[in-house]
Amino acid sequence: MLMSRLPRFAALAAALAIGAGAHALAAEPGVTADSIRIGTFGALTGPGYLYGKLPMNGVEVVLDEVNAAGGIHGRKLQLVREDDRCDAASAIAAIQKLVHQDQVFALIGGGCSNATFAAREAIETAKIPTLIFASVHDGITVPPAPNIYSTALTSSIESEAQVLFAQQQGAKRIAMISMKDAWGRARYAPLMEILKAKGIALVADEELSPDANDATAQVLRLKATNADAVIMVLYPKPAAVYIRDAQKLGFKPLNIGQSGIADPAAFEEQVGVPGATASFRTISQVKFTPEDPAMDKWRKLVETKFPGDRLSVYNLFGIGSAQVLVEALKRAGSDLTREKLQAAFATIKGFNTDVHPGPVTCSQSDHRCHKSPAWLAKDPGGPIRVLAVTTIEN
Amino acid sequence: MLLFSYLLMSGVTTGALYGLVALGFVVVNKATGVINFAQGEFFMFTGFIAWMLHVQLGINYLVTFAFAVAFGFALGCLTDRIAFRPIAKSDVVSLVLATVGIAFILKGLARTIWGGKADYLAFPPITSPDPIMVGSIMVIPQQLAVLAGTAVILLLFVAFFRFTRAGKMMQATADNARAARLVGIRTDRIYTLAFGIGAAIAAAAAVLTAPLTLLYPDIGFAFFLKGFAAAVLGGLSSLPGAVLGGMIVGIAESMAGGYIHSSVMELSPFIVIMAVLVLRPSGLLGPAKTRRV
Repeated sequence: MLMSRLPRFAALAAALAIGAGAHALAAEPGVTADSIRIGTFGALTGPGYLYGKLPMNGVEVVLDEVNAAGGIHGRKLQLVREDDRCDAASAIAAIQKLVHQDQVFALIGGGCSNATFAAREAIETAKIPTLIFASVHDGITVPPAPNIYSTALTSSIESEAQVLFAQQQGAKRIAMISMKDAWGRARYAPLMEILKAKGIALVADEELSPDANDATAQVLRLKATNADAVIMVLYPKPAAVYIRDAQKLGFKPLNIGQSGIADPAAFEEQVGVPGATASFRTISQVKFTPEDPAMDKWRKLVETKFPGDRLSVYNLFGIGSAQVLVEALKRAGSDLTREKLQAAFATIKGFNTDVHPGPVTCSQSDHRCHKSPAWLAKDPGGPIRVLAVTTIEN
Repeated sequence: MLLFSYLLMSGVTTGALYGLVALGFVVVNKATGVINFAQGEFFMFTGFIAWMLHVQLGINYLVTFAFAVAFGFALGCLTDRIAFRPIAKSDVVSLVLATVGIAFILKGLARTIWGGKADYLAFPPITSPDPIMVGSIMVIPQQLAVLAGTAVILLLFVAFFRFTRAGKMMQATADNARAARLVGIRTDRIYTLAFGIGAAIAAAAAVLTAPLTLLYPDIGFAFFLKGFAAAVLGGLSSLPGAVLGGMIVGIAESMAGGYIHSSVMELSPFIVIMAVLVLRPSGLLGPAKTRRV
């Protein structure tokens, strides 16, 4: 009798054990025995799609590759996209939807800085492990929120790199042209602090509206100071207007951009005046240009999955960031919890991705994991070249 | 002197474009009494249409110009028929809100069609980018093209009102819509025509502006703001006032940016406008205010 009941007891015990296990997994949102749901947010439409949709596409091909190799600890990765339209209110709504409605386990995303900065509180409150792939606003990672890490360069890191680069290129008369919207101010303030710390006085400090269609006045004022380097704190649109007008008025300093204009090929097209971008240099978060043979594998994957797209540096932002996320998920182990993933981020030290110019290093006290901007140049009509990598120590 | 000439040319060119946008406002306002908040989006949308024709399909610039203006006219007429005419007898607030709705629809459409394909679309220059000297004044050929285009549009406009039956009926409707109806003028058709012409002017401004700037779905608002400011400055019902207002806004921006600081560029035209409106509330060329006794 007892013997005949044993298999039933065993079956019951097994069922309870599975049920308990399932309950434990169910308690961790977005995680099942065979899947992990990851949320991503950023602009899918509008001009900001460069920093949203394109990195997301990069993330997706990395996740596909991981899934094709069996997933992480047996779990396949699913990506859920949400459009924040580069807008603060929409970014907060996107986070709420991903966390509460889609029940994602972790987030990777953040395109437009102001939108992501506005969403910081919602992310922090949700205690969801988050990796930022493109937003550069200092306030997103400083002071560090326990659950937010970033593989994007921050404004102050880029600002310091711009000043260092000008000095390395022998500039003696440095000027600046900047936008004074929230994005521009987030860069302008640290730039002024860095210049002050280095004892550098700007020979001109000009302002250009994000909607400007003419920069004649600014160019003439800059030209009058004989500036030999101009630090550009501009989006691509006003930057293109400035470069066009500078060319027209015969003003040819070293023009130093930042990751807001991270694709020199696209920028050359936008400027549309032959030769105008010859002295333009810009920061990239990644070491390689899309045309680099080292990126062949990723080009093929991106262009196959998203027909009609050409590999862009913004895809590479997502690829590098996703590789860091995957590494952290592996380190968090098979008994996955948000706390473990968060702790795993802090253990990433000297980690080399396929795209970043230097090793990625995070810590408990500093969640800015990427501090090695690469400098890009594009000869008119020629290929994009990586000129140098600047490593910021602090 | 050289600095002054550069700034003046820059201001006049930008001002001419603001004037064209303002002209669109005035045409609709004169006929319907409504401020068309979709004017900036007409500008944006037709600019994208021109980009498709010229850049993607490789159609000649002048042909593109004509197509874009025709498309703008049709878009304006359609706007009147679907958004304005059905509620034409409503109060002014409802009518204005209808134009706001159209603005959002056009922006949404543009984001859907063009927003995910590139961030800022470049329209190639139609002239040589190298400057030329006219006496001691340095001029960019593209600026001359814009000025010439603006002048031609203004002349056509004057001719339309002076020599065509439709233009005269439009003026009659603007002066007194009830009287116009009594003499048999189909004022509803005049309203359609006003929206069509307003959007066609926006299209012309967009195609002239496109080689000087970059196109993106939010570009309409910036031009709406400056064009509206120019229209208010000139007097909301005055066609020459719109152009004069545009010129003043453009030149004020340029001069303030060059001689004071670039940080006051955006502010300067509005300071001028405030000063003018305090002294002359109906605008520079608007009708003098009458007082009933």
